Amino acid sequence: MNLLISTFWLSRRAFMESVRQPWLEIGNLFIPLFFFAVTVGAIGSLRDNFGVDNFIAFQMPVAVLQGVAGVAGSAGLGMTQDIQRGYFDKLRLTSAPPFAIVLGRMASDGFRALILTLIVVVVGLLFGTGMEAGVFGAAFIVLLGGLFGLSYSGIGMAIALRTGSPQAAQAGFLLFFPLLFLSESFVPKEFYAGWLEFLATINPVTYVLQGMRALTMDGWQWMAVTKSLISVAGIGALTMGLATMAARWRFKGA
Amino acid sequence: MPAIVAERLMKHFGPDIRAVDGIDLSIPEGQVFGFLGQNGSGKSTTVRMLTTLLQPTSGHGQVGGFDVLRQPGKVRQACGVALQEAGLDELQTGRELLALQGRLFGMGGDHLKARVNELLRIVDLEDAADRRLGGYSGGMQRRLDLAAALIHSPRILFLDEPTTGLDPISRESVWRYVQQLNKERGVTIFLTTQYLEEADRLADDVAIIDSGKIVAQGSPAELKASIGTDVLTIGVEGSAEATMSAAALFRQMEGVERVQEVDGALVVYVKDGARAVPRAVRLLDDAGITTGAITLAHPTLNDVFLRKTGHHLEAGATVPAAEVRT
Repeated sequence: MNLLISTFWLSRRAFMESVRQPWLEIGNLFIPLFFFAVTVGAIGSLRDNFGVDNFIAFQMPVAVLQGVAGVAGSAGLGMTQDIQRGYFDKLRLTSAPPFAIVLGRMASDGFRALILTLIVVVVGLLFGTGMEAGVFGAAFIVLLGGLFGLSYSGIGMAIALRTGSPQAAQAGFLLFFPLLFLSESFVPKEFYAGWLEFLATINPVTYVLQGMRALTMDGWQWMAVTKSLISVAGIGALTMGLATMAARWRFKGA
Repeated sequence: MPAIVAERLMKHFGPDIRAVDGIDLSIPEGQVFGFLGQNGSGKSTTVRMLTTLLQPTSGHGQVGGFDVLRQPGKVRQACGVALQEAGLDELQTGRELLALQGRLFGMGGDHLKARVNELLRIVDLEDAADRRLGGYSGGMQRRLDLAAALIHSPRILFLDEPTTGLDPISRESVWRYVQQLNKERGVTIFLTTQYLEEADRLADDVAIIDSGKIVAQGSPAELKASIGTDVLTIGVEGSAEATMSAAALFRQMEGVERVQEVDGALVVYVKDGARAVPRAVRLLDDAGITTGAITLAHPTLNDVFLRKTGHHLEAGATVPAAEVRT
């Protein structure tokens, strides 16, 4: 059985799971939009906004990544439910390549992250973010959000496969908060204390935010865009590696 | 060529737990094989190894002529499996679940649609086919699980305690369908069970597994015959001392092969049971021991199980038997 075909059918099934639990997706969307509004309302009204001309545009990528992390975090939760109720074994007993079971869920997360990013970008545009890189720039941000979701879901997936515990899998989502807040999330990192600026500089999430901000506020800044892609790829390589190791362990018959 | 083979198959969890301890099996094509044992005896672990879900610690397994370690994909294509817990996705409908299982076996189009409809009809779930599985009863989920195991028309079917928790009517319908699959389509069936009646009724051959080892194997008739005696169960009223005294008397009685105490009664394995009953009663009378209820039976699989493992086998529980030492 072909890996791609199996992955397609399994991602379709995982996606339908989300369609049938819409309140989960509403939560994933509400929280980042709420923080988006509050942050813009609180900091965006400060005088000169730390030198940022368009603070709504500056904050929009933060809302995107926050929402995408929520979406990606639920991948692990879904996998643990499959493991606990025995459906994971039922899927393993088919002719589908075992890794398709993992990839199917992750692909579904990537697609859900893509849709959520699109919604946040549209909301941002309605509230005045603008889009200096035009329609293709917006499309690129949506793609980047999807890829970030795909990459980030590897963490929850690895935890889910290794532990089979829903509580542990949800911790995958919590890991995102230090990553987000130790990046250039609220103001340019030059305004941070030295230690925090250093952490934000080595944090790949900073470069994902910068790539999205560049497209929104400055147009096609190739260096920033390339760095954002490399950062997502780096996060993806790490999380996919972890998920693969956990999957191998699980497939041995944990 | 046998449909299922196990050679010195072993699974250890850590140094102390020998879940399956070197079992050998050779199950011919077209047979219904009953794997009988109490909870935790190693039945499900054996199924998981033979169906590629669990790597053996050592030994070999073959299903449909394919090696479970080297050709797992071919093993999965050759067999259908309904595990002990009907692992289903409660957000899917019955029809969707079967269709997805079929697609993951490479099926599609009208053939898959027809197969799904056929199986839904067979397991009597046509009316519930488009309802989500969260609303299915336990029996309905079991039947759907069985249908899912059959979606790709496997030659070999593993059923891990398929009727545990089912009501008698659902159980009867599963039994009928298992027999039909075997007789009409020649499907080889590996059935684990803790119901003696199930093994007796369905299985051509039975193996009893206890603490990871096979302790007896043969057809139900052969296993019963292997006991070689009738089974006389005698209630003894009074103290435990009276029971011990009665056991000592029976041990000396002609034709008695073995005496066990089970739940306060004495189980006496004796040749020519019909003649032994009056002798047994007289013996106890003469010794001043009051006799309770007496039953005489030809050996059942339960007696075989008791003889081989020292335990009665009951659904969901085992009752330990004590060998009476006098």
